[in-house]
Amino acid sequence: MNELDKIPVRQELSVAEGNVKRSNPLANVFDELVRFCQSRSMFMLHYCTGCGAIELPPAMTSRFDMERLGIQPMVTPRQADILLITGYVSVKTLKRIILTYEQMPSPKYVIGICSCTVNGGMYWQSYATAKVLKEYLPVDIYIAGCMPRPEAVISGLRDLMGDIKSGRADNWKRYFQNYDHYLGNQQKLFGEDWQTPTDIIAEAEHYGLMTDQTLGEHTALLQKHQQPLEALEFSLGEKREKIQGENPREKNNE
Amino acid sequence: MSKELNLWLDDLLKDIKIIQFKRKNSRRVRIDIAPEALPALLELLQGRASYVHLSAITCVDWIEDDEFELVYHVWSYETNSLVSAHTRISRDPGVYLSVYDLYTPAAFFERDIHEMFGLYFEGSPDMEKFILTEWNGPPPMRKDFDSEAFVNQTFSWEEYHPQWLKDIEAEGGGITTRPEDVR
Ligand code: SF4
Repeated sequence: MNELDKIPVRQELSVAEGNVKRSNPLANVFDELVRFCQSRSMFMLHYCTGCGAIELPPAMTSRFDMERLGIQPMVTPRQADILLITGYVSVKTLKRIILTYEQMPSPKYVIGICSCTVNGGMYWQSYATAKVLKEYLPVDIYIAGCMPRPEAVISGLRDLMGDIKSGRADNWKRYFQNYDHYLGNQQKLFGEDWQTPTDIIAEAEHYGLMTDQTLGEHTALLQKHQQPLEALEFSLGEKREKIQGENPREKNNE
Repeated sequence: MSKELNLWLDDLLKDIKIIQFKRKNSRRVRIDIAPEALPALLELLQGRASYVHLSAITCVDWIEDDEFELVYHVWSYETNSLVSAHTRISRDPGVYLSVYDLYTPAAFFERDIHEMFGLYFEGSPDMEKFILTEWNGPPPMRKDFDSEAFVNQTFSWEEYHPQWLKDIEAEGGGITTRPEDVR
């Protein structure tokens, strides 16, 4: 028992040196074990944005049964590992997707299902949908098709599992490392006062993922416009009265 | 019963001089009517022939004629038939009367049309933004809004034949059936 206690479960990483040196010979074993476990228990937040979502019920339920691979739906972003984006993303939805993505704890993976997330798909000339999803979020795997069959979805998820097991799926780090780039694309679409409640820069520091691409002109713009978060006002009744008091017809005639 | 009602209604509507009446089949009627007379027609249909259900109001932008076409679809549960009343109003200034006092659901359709076409309905209870709450451009369904130009200016595109695909192809994978093979 005492022997086991001596094994350091968590290795202190010397990030400051840039070059992470690992002295514990068992570290790799642990890493592999952790990665194996991660790849075998994935909680998936399926943000059903477009028509591709219709292929998920068969993929999840008894016919194709994703759960035998350890993939389960999860209800909140804070407990999810995978963000599944199932189809075209309107600009309005994209804002919510980014909010959701930033709330998820790392490591997190994004899967873009459907051609629409790759390049706009058949909505390529629509004013309302964002075209290339990976400009706004780091996407781990695209599953193309309009819409991909459940077999394709499951094969895509298996690819992701393989990537996680072998340690290749680290796209989530890119969001912190290149935050300025992603934020720039977001600002281009949503206006320069775009901000989210999550402090990505502080998180990047926390994970030790600050690079010279993390900060830049766009994050400077963000800091200029950033307003401190305030708790939402909670009231019952008052607001309603106010709305009823106004005469909408009068307002129109102005 | 409903057959008879339909026949009476046909006779009645054919007698009105200012409208063009056309029965398409046993369940569909098309009426073309001047904009001034449309509310009166709807009132007549609703009050006298129980066309109580306004299923939709649609709008078409005829930019070459400089006109908007509004189509009011009303359904009767007595005659089991749908009347589509077509009317055309001028694109400029693009103002028309609301039928909210006859059909309350009209508020919803009118708000939508206002948002998508910029057509203003006088007397509609709410002409605020509805679905496009985060959109600042012109009403997007108008024909003079060039969606494609807007897209090209706002979004960028994925490369069609990127390096990673070439790498996969070099290993013998990639696109197995090209578009020209199937055509
Ligand atoms: S790729 Fe096809 S199925 Fe998927 S969201 Fe786009 S239009 Fe819908």
